[in-house]
Amino acid sequence: MAETLLWVIPLVPTMTALLMFTTRDRRILSAIDVGGSTILAVLALVLAREVRVGGPRALGIFRIDDLGLVFLLLLVVLTLAVSIYTVGWLKQALAVGNMKAESVRSYFALVHAFVATMVVTVLADNLGVLWIAMEGTTITSAMLVGYHGHQHGLEAAWKYIIVTTIGISFGLFGTVLVYAAAAAVPGGVGAMSWSAIMKVAPGLDPSIVRIGFIFVMVGYGTKAGLAPMHLWLPDAHSQAPTPVSALLSGVLIKCALLGIIRFQTIAAAACGPAFTSMVLVVFGLTSVVVATPFILAQRDVKRLLGYHSVEHVGIVVLGLGFGGPVGTYGALLHVVNHGVTKALAFFGAGTAIARYGTRDMRVIRGLFAVAPIGATFLMLAALSLAGVPPFSIFVSELLVLRAGIGHGHWLAIGIFLTMVAVIFAGILHHVGAMAFGRPTAAATREPEAWSPLLAMLLLAAIMILLGITIPASVDGLLRRATGVIVG
Amino acid sequence: MSTETVYTIVDDLGALLLFTMILILAAGQIYRAIYAVAAQSFLIAVAGAVLAMATGNTDLWVIAGITLAVKAISLPWVLHWVVRKMNVRREVEPVIPVALTLAFAVMVVVMAFHLSGSLGPVRQAITGNALPVGIALTLLGVLVMATRKTAMHQMVGLFASENGIFFTAMAVTKGMPLIIEIGVILDVILAVLVMAIMVLRVRSTVDADIAGLDRLRG
Repeated sequence: MAETLLWVIPLVPTMTALLMFTTRDRRILSAIDVGGSTILAVLALVLAREVRVGGPRALGIFRIDDLGLVFLLLLVVLTLAVSIYTVGWLKQALAVGNMKAESVRSYFALVHAFVATMVVTVLADNLGVLWIAMEGTTITSAMLVGYHGHQHGLEAAWKYIIVTTIGISFGLFGTVLVYAAAAAVPGGVGAMSWSAIMKVAPGLDPSIVRIGFIFVMVGYGTKAGLAPMHLWLPDAHSQAPTPVSALLSGVLIKCALLGIIRFQTIAAAACGPAFTSMVLVVFGLTSVVVATPFILAQRDVKRLLGYHSVEHVGIVVLGLGFGGPVGTYGALLHVVNHGVTKALAFFGAGTAIARYGTRDMRVIRGLFAVAPIGATFLMLAALSLAGVPPFSIFVSELLVLRAGIGHGHWLAIGIFLTMVAVIFAGILHHVGAMAFGRPTAAATREPEAWSPLLAMLLLAAIMILLGITIPASVDGLLRRATGVIVG
Repeated sequence: MSTETVYTIVDDLGALLLFTMILILAAGQIYRAIYAVAAQSFLIAVAGAVLAMATGNTDLWVIAGITLAVKAISLPWVLHWVVRKMNVRREVEPVIPVALTLAFAVMVVVMAFHLSGSLGPVRQAITGNALPVGIALTLLGVLVMATRKTAMHQMVGLFASENGIFFTAMAVTKGMPLIIEIGVILDVILAVLVMAIMVLRVRSTVDADIAGLDRLRG
């Protein structure tokens, strides 16, 4: 049953993508979109139950364990929310001419092809397949980033495809080196799957694995948006259609993090955890520090959220770097929290942008007066992103912090806290100015569409729930996933 | 073939690969860069054939054949076609002078050999000097992409980077699984097609090079 699901699940978005070409009607296309995402979510939940009962499952190049499950569940929930959001977003985008009616079905097909490649990155056991799927996500999403077809969109798409393709070729080099190291030990010949390499990992030559891990860190780190390889991220996140921005920020960069985690476990076993910890802490801190000034000085709301993703990916990597059960658990919880919250923030920002016809935060004023419900969701997301208790991100940041203190990374903790405090002020200032005050004349006062609100409600409910209490099932899953990494 | 002969041939091919890389770095005209990268891919295919003969690994024959057909012939032809279609007349100066780029390149090559020299047991896992050459090609490909602000040069740099990885992957004992290599090449083909579409779309709307656009900042 679970083994069958392993190859059925990647097929669902693929079939959904193909189904899009059977019709041109917007309503039917949206129905296929939501339907496909719902089936995907249900199957993933079934798989989650199977894994909880029967442990990790493998089938050929695919394998699912608790670690992969954390990312898979995040992926399917966000995909479903994005599908629901798209119903109302698309109607509005077509009305103002941001999307063309004849290209809607290829848009939907690309979105689901993008989802399919991301599903494969999560399920891949073979590190080569992981790489191929990761490059697949670049190709499909690059076309989506430039989808509006104007000059800025294409510029962002070009930067995105060039920077991430070159970055990810470093990832392939790292994969080749780890594979070469595995081929040199007995029992490791031909081993390209993560589970097989993990069996021989303690015997791998540390010097080759060390170089390999750094290559992988740069490679998948580019895709994850870690500074200083993040240059594509703010452009792509700001120029992409809003539902795609939510997928890029909420899911894609998390898939790249999963790739990093897979190699981290191999490298920690081969070279000792001190080495991986140092590399991760350096990249994590750099990301948090580099993102800060850009967050403060930002005027474009989607770029603001983009730079914010750089910061939060940095926090996740810091958590992984501090390590131990607490840091790793905190990092994984942060992956979930940030994915959900950032998608919510992009949805809120997207509806505001549609209402004001601009991404400039100096023009978006008084959102509460014209769209009270959407403004509330945006404000909730911003409070959570800033790290205010009792929202979920506060909890995971606290765990990361505790792990850092527990392992005596005082300098890193000092820098981290300073930056988080500055960003806290910055983001609340920006979003507060958008939400309150007198609405500018540019704002339309149309009633709020139901589907974006429904999508935001779904995500806000998860975000608040995870902040107040972590349900036992989620906690158990995260603990088992932590066990996969820490061993 | 004896192991020593294979080592010698792989090392010689590595030297030739580095030579083609210098041609790419120094090329002013985009056509020359495309011919140089095609020659480089051809050398990779030859390396694949040599290693296939030496190890008796039939997968490597297939990979050498695909490399020849795709990377040495088809994709350079696509690049050539796009350049003609774009109808670029003027040369675009590199961001830093070519002489300085070449000086950088020498440093990168020395560093790559130094790094690999510090690895003890790497010789068991990877044939000859394929690792330092591979690292050097990958980094120099990035150098091309960083110093040239034209889309076609950036694509050539990308090819050169990929060539470096392929060279190292072939020389890993027993080679990579065939299905993975094919998947990687498929990705490269798709990426190039998407890039070509983007380049031509920008060219047709604003008469500018997509890599030269710089409106998104901050």
